[in-house]
Amino acid sequence: MIILRSLFYILIFPGALFTACFGLFLTGVDRKVVARMQHRIGPPLRQPMYDFFKLLGKETIIPHAANKIAFLGAPIIGFVSLALIMLFIPVGGLTAFSGNADMIVILYLITIPGVALIVGGSSSGSPYAGIGISREMVTMMAYELPFVLVLLAVARKAGGSELAFSMEKVAEWQAANGNMLFQWSMIPAAIAMLLVVPAEVGTQPFDVAEAETEICEGPLIEYSGSALGMFKLNTAMKMFVMSGLFVSLFLGGIRTGFAVCDVIVFILLCIVVTIICMSTTHAVTARLKIEHLFKFYWTFVAGMALCSLILVWCGL
Amino acid sequence: MFNKLINDSASKSPWLYHINSGSCNGCDIELVACLTPRYDAERFGFKLAGTPRHADIVVVSGPVTSQSKERLIRTLAQVPEPKCVVSLGSCPKSGNVFKGSYSVEAPLDDYCHVDVSVAGCTPKPEAIMEGLYKAALILKEKREAMHK
Ligand code: SF4
Repeated sequence: MIILRSLFYILIFPGALFTACFGLFLTGVDRKVVARMQHRIGPPLRQPMYDFFKLLGKETIIPHAANKIAFLGAPIIGFVSLALIMLFIPVGGLTAFSGNADMIVILYLITIPGVALIVGGSSSGSPYAGIGISREMVTMMAYELPFVLVLLAVARKAGGSELAFSMEKVAEWQAANGNMLFQWSMIPAAIAMLLVVPAEVGTQPFDVAEAETEICEGPLIEYSGSALGMFKLNTAMKMFVMSGLFVSLFLGGIRTGFAVCDVIVFILLCIVVTIICMSTTHAVTARLKIEHLFKFYWTFVAGMALCSLILVWCGL
Repeated sequence: MFNKLINDSASKSPWLYHINSGSCNGCDIELVACLTPRYDAERFGFKLAGTPRHADIVVVSGPVTSQSKERLIRTLAQVPEPKCVVSLGSCPKSGNVFKGSYSVEAPLDDYCHVDVSVAGCTPKPEAIMEGLYKAALILKEKREAMHK
């Protein structure tokens, strides 16, 4: 019975299938909102679904210079780690697996899709991919520091005198004391997290690694067919995972009394977070240069997160 | 069922790759105009891809100059199946005003199979959109022929 339940969690809800479907839907919402902001009609909401299935039906070309195993394995590794992260994030009232150090597990798992992109790109043997992966690495270093600081601030706030690295505890604390977002000492951390989310997903102003107009999609340059489809799916899932993480860290613990309503509230909040931090920035900004991105994250964003951390540590 | 889903998606998300084989830039501007808010080709799922590996429809403009001929053939070979080739403007079709020049090797269909050809110097964005839409339908037929 327990095995069956775990399998259901991992494969269907809130694991692989749910994350994939809702991630694709969220990407559709993002594209539609950007289109409306630019005064266009925009693609239908299920356009990412069409893109994904079309890519499954295309020929997958493996270049001569590529290492076959790493080239085809990288997107699968990214997919698996993203499906795993979703098991630790409380969806409504339901956390599939919870422990004492969820946040640390999430922190490790969330770097894996980026690493998978680096492995895939470097095994494809293209010089453009080489530039792309070096940029991807710098981006990862840039957002990782503020991300860790935000998690520390949240853990300290929820844990009181000691650090609470459990997502369950964070949700309980918020159910008792009101949302993290409305604690004034946490507002800088929330802003920092809102800026970490688009960098992690790699949307418009922060998509330096996959700049299609200058380095031809960087690490993805040699990918085609179903392997490319998996990478596109990974990006879509990352969008859901990161907005879900924001919701559970700062807007979690909303309880209506019905499990289904809780899940619906969670999903609506995810859509709102996506529109605020990804679609809007996408529609109004142009791509940054890599050195500007690094400087922005290590000064402004990390500064905001540090500010919160110090305030929380002083007991405010 | 799965196969049917893939076949249906084939015509609904055609990604474009644009090759300029010595065009005067008139056709290129009109192709980009298709993607702007006024005509918004993205509502049919069209998207400009950055590399030939991601493309479904290859749009070729220009009269195929001797310098670009070899690159053109090599780039077309990199596009995964099923693919469509659209020739944009009168240049790739006949050579247009450049016909007879020592450096122009005009008709594109000497070197590859052209599925849709949009004539005009320059074609209107409406005409380009219609041509691209026809190419998207051909894409679906090709995909169905590949997996009977
Ligand atoms: S068809 Fe006309 S506008 Fe287009 S590339 Fe040729 S000369 Fe230029």
